[in-house]
Amino acid sequence: MEIDRRKFFKVLGVGGATAIAAPTRNGHAWQSKAPPDPYGCLVDLTRCIGCRKCEQACQTVNSLPQPARPFDDLTILDKKRRPDEKSYTVINRYYPGRRDDRDQPIPFFVKVQCMHCQDPACASACIVGALTKKENGTVHYDVTKCIGCRYCMVACPFEIPAYEYSDPITPRVMKCTFCYERVEKEKKPPGCAAICPVEAITFGRRNTLLKVAKKRIQSDPGKYVNYIYGENEAGGTSWLYISSEPFDRVGFIDVPKRPLNQLAETIQSALFSYLWSPIVLFGMLGGIKWAFRDKSHAEHPHKGGES
Amino acid sequence: MAHPNPIRAPFWTPGVIVLAILMGVGATAVLARFIGGIGYVSNLSTARPWGIWIGIDVASGVALAAGGFTTAFLAHILGRHYFEPVVRPALLTAMLGYTFVVLGLIVDIGRSWAIWKPIIYWNPHSVLFEVAMCVMFYVNVLYIEFIPIVVERFKGRVNLPGSLSALNGLAETLLGLADKILSRIMWFFIIAGVVLSCMHQSSLGSLMLIAPTKLHPLWYTPILPLLFLSSAIAIGYPMVVFETTLATSSLKLDPEMHVLSRLTRITIFLLGTYLALKLGDMVVRKTYVYLLDGTAQTNSFLVEMVFGIIVPWLMLLSPAIRNSRRWLFTACTMIVGGVMLNRINVFVVGYRPPVSENNYFPSITEALITVGFIAALMFIYRFVVTYLPVLNRPGQEVST
Amino acid sequence: MTRMIRRLSGGIAILTVFAAIGGLTVFLPGSLLIHEAIAAADPAPVHQPDPAWVAPDQEKAKKRAQEIVPFVEAVMEECELCRQMRLREMGLGIKDSASAYYLLDSPIIKKSEDLYGPVRFKHNKHAAQLKDCALCHHYRPLDENAKETTRCSACHQEAFRPDHPERIGLKAAFHQQCAGCHQEMKQGPTDCLGCHNKNVPDHKELVMLSGKPQPTEVTRECLRCHKAAGEDMLKTAHWLWKGPSPHTLNRSKHVEHGKATSAVNNF
Repeated sequence: MEIDRRKFFKVLGVGGATAIAAPTRNGHAWQSKAPPDPYGCLVDLTRCIGCRKCEQACQTVNSLPQPARPFDDLTILDKKRRPDEKSYTVINRYYPGRRDDRDQPIPFFVKVQCMHCQDPACASACIVGALTKKENGTVHYDVTKCIGCRYCMVACPFEIPAYEYSDPITPRVMKCTFCYERVEKEKKPPGCAAICPVEAITFGRRNTLLKVAKKRIQSDPGKYVNYIYGENEAGGTSWLYISSEPFDRVGFIDVPKRPLNQLAETIQSALFSYLWSPIVLFGMLGGIKWAFRDKSHAEHPHKGGES
Repeated sequence: MAHPNPIRAPFWTPGVIVLAILMGVGATAVLARFIGGIGYVSNLSTARPWGIWIGIDVASGVALAAGGFTTAFLAHILGRHYFEPVVRPALLTAMLGYTFVVLGLIVDIGRSWAIWKPIIYWNPHSVLFEVAMCVMFYVNVLYIEFIPIVVERFKGRVNLPGSLSALNGLAETLLGLADKILSRIMWFFIIAGVVLSCMHQSSLGSLMLIAPTKLHPLWYTPILPLLFLSSAIAIGYPMVVFETTLATSSLKLDPEMHVLSRLTRITIFLLGTYLALKLGDMVVRKTYVYLLDGTAQTNSFLVEMVFGIIVPWLMLLSPAIRNSRRWLFTACTMIVGGVMLNRINVFVVGYRPPVSENNYFPSITEALITVGFIAALMFIYRFVVTYLPVLNRPGQEVST
Repeated sequence: MTRMIRRLSGGIAILTVFAAIGGLTVFLPGSLLIHEAIAAADPAPVHQPDPAWVAPDQEKAKKRAQEIVPFVEAVMEECELCRQMRLREMGLGIKDSASAYYLLDSPIIKKSEDLYGPVRFKHNKHAAQLKDCALCHHYRPLDENAKETTRCSACHQEAFRPDHPERIGLKAAFHQQCAGCHQEMKQGPTDCLGCHNKNVPDHKELVMLSGKPQPTEVTRECLRCHKAAGEDMLKTAHWLWKGPSPHTLNRSKHVEHGKATSAVNNF
């Protein structure tokens, strides 16, 4: 027994030493896979008038089902909505507290859609790589790969992807497409940006939009809060927002300022790059098994003990 | 030492009939899911994409099957043949457990027919991809590990009915071949099984690392994979006690108390490690501030900690309890329940999406599918132990 | 209140269309006969509008709205107040206005979508009321030879030009300038239909009737798309009206006449 135990720790020690040495050899710092010059959209919430034209354009461009109530029915804004499997984008109305000279609360409108993160958690999570970040900024969904595990929905910090739960056989994950085909092939801005009557949505290169946003805030510091939502949220998003109201008061949530997939990917690659840890573990266990092999069973002469 | 044998007890007992009824109800619910869609039978939504099918069927199922690799390690890698009597039932539990994990996934994923796609489309960054690959390989490893039991039962006794009897010779040859080959390479599958288990048991915890804003801070920790692995290892032997005691008491077999109480002596150390990690994590991240919040989450955490880990751990410290069949069973059930609650907490209770704050409670049909699966698992377990040499039969026949 | 009236008037308009199409099909042969009869009886026209006549200022505005002028790359940077003062000193006013009436419309806008008709903009009325050209003509081209005030579409053309990311497009310029000011001054419309009508899609493509349709077929065809309008109509007084019949049957006055009871075209 005593010998056994000593042997056990010896084997364990050798394996353990390899195990500790390996991550320093293979472990490398996590690197962003964000495209260098993606497109983006800058939403200036001070301009939005809540006309829902963007929702209408989105429905047309993406061939989504016709809603039960027409798009010019603005009473739908009485309730807060979220993007769902039938609408990729929605406008919500808030009353953050400002009042006009007749003491009526002034409405404030917020457009919600996929933020198209620079390092999307959904794409990192997707088991089959159906979600990918494209060079032009789109977080693109390829339905032919999807198996419907809905891990993307768990991963998304903005709670955007929706699911066609009512479809028993071929449900899809539904989220803003950034009008990928339209932007990439037809060289047109996304439907919502093109139709917006007041250009509350500015379409362009993300780097340019950041400059535009900073300039707008600088030129009217009394109007805007000094913050660009999406500049650093979740490591940066292709969609950016500037506002006259504090973001937390109009439905924006606090999101970590680093890519959400960083921690999981770092741990995964530290543990499993080149499958070093399973191989080491396999070697260790093999060593233990060999050290503890049963010598008494002469009738089982095969290698590695018995089953 | 008694050798495993088929039980040869009457199969259709009242308990088995109840299981069959639950299976039938569950099968109807599964049918409804494949006709009306997930939305028709469940309360899953945009905010809550994962419910009890993931929390119980998959995550808890994987954890509860940990008895398989922990006993294999003890008996076949460390060569502690003393524990041999519990290896086969543990292996059967693991095999059935993983089979039902896969079946649960088939119900849960939207495009069940596409479940093979991860084999072709790889996303090595995805934690779920790694889990899926490991589970896929491990299911096969478990089946291979189980083959010798089938071989043992039928080798030299193949007697196919009717016209198939012409194939008797061929089947016999195949069995002999399998026996010969498997006994030479089984060591590989046994080690691979332990390695694969360690990988995906921990990665199941890594799944939630991507959702720091959604998982309650009491559970969200960078060491979540370590906690999942250590809890899976800790639950292994209590699960064996739980399931062996259930089987032997219902079939009136030898309770194997000498094996079980020695197994749980190891559990003191393993569960202690898990407890220390969990408490240490709570202290380091200062999450104890949430403990008295009184919310559903914090209460669930307290139940998990106190009744799932601390109390049964203290119970196991006493040799009197370890040697009492009833008390040992109680303690082990608490540990099993505690780890199961932990998985449910991580995937269901502790999951609070900040925007929607949508509350989720499983629908009846959703629960019926889960219950149906558990019933089916127990049904098949009962069937297999009746006809294959899994459990140790005492020397004399015991009337049932 | 205004919204209600607008909805009501919209309802009535649709209703009229329904009635007109329905009635036309029913009475087409008859009405033609009547027309011919009148024409035969009285050949002298009461009033014959000249089909060649067009409103000259409307045509001028239409033509102007079609023009695309060279893009102004750079504008002179000056503060709002400086510009106001300068224009006032220059004595700029209504007299300098090229036209009193414009149509706010442009092929630049039509390029992306065509959902609404042009806005009829009374330039001089606005100018006279505001007495401040700089409110709308907020910048001048950097080129010193250019006119002090220039049309909106000189600086604001297509949206999202990569070379001028901060310059808004023409459509947004119109909307921000008009609606913004209307809101601020609390005068003038701030909703879509207050300034421009919706473009009704060409029904030649949409209506699917063949040969000589029956009246009920026509109504059914309308209802295929305008289901809600049809349901609304069934709740109007026009439809629900009932009254005693002057010509009674069976010597009693109990039979009631009304659109919904005994009319011909009550689909």
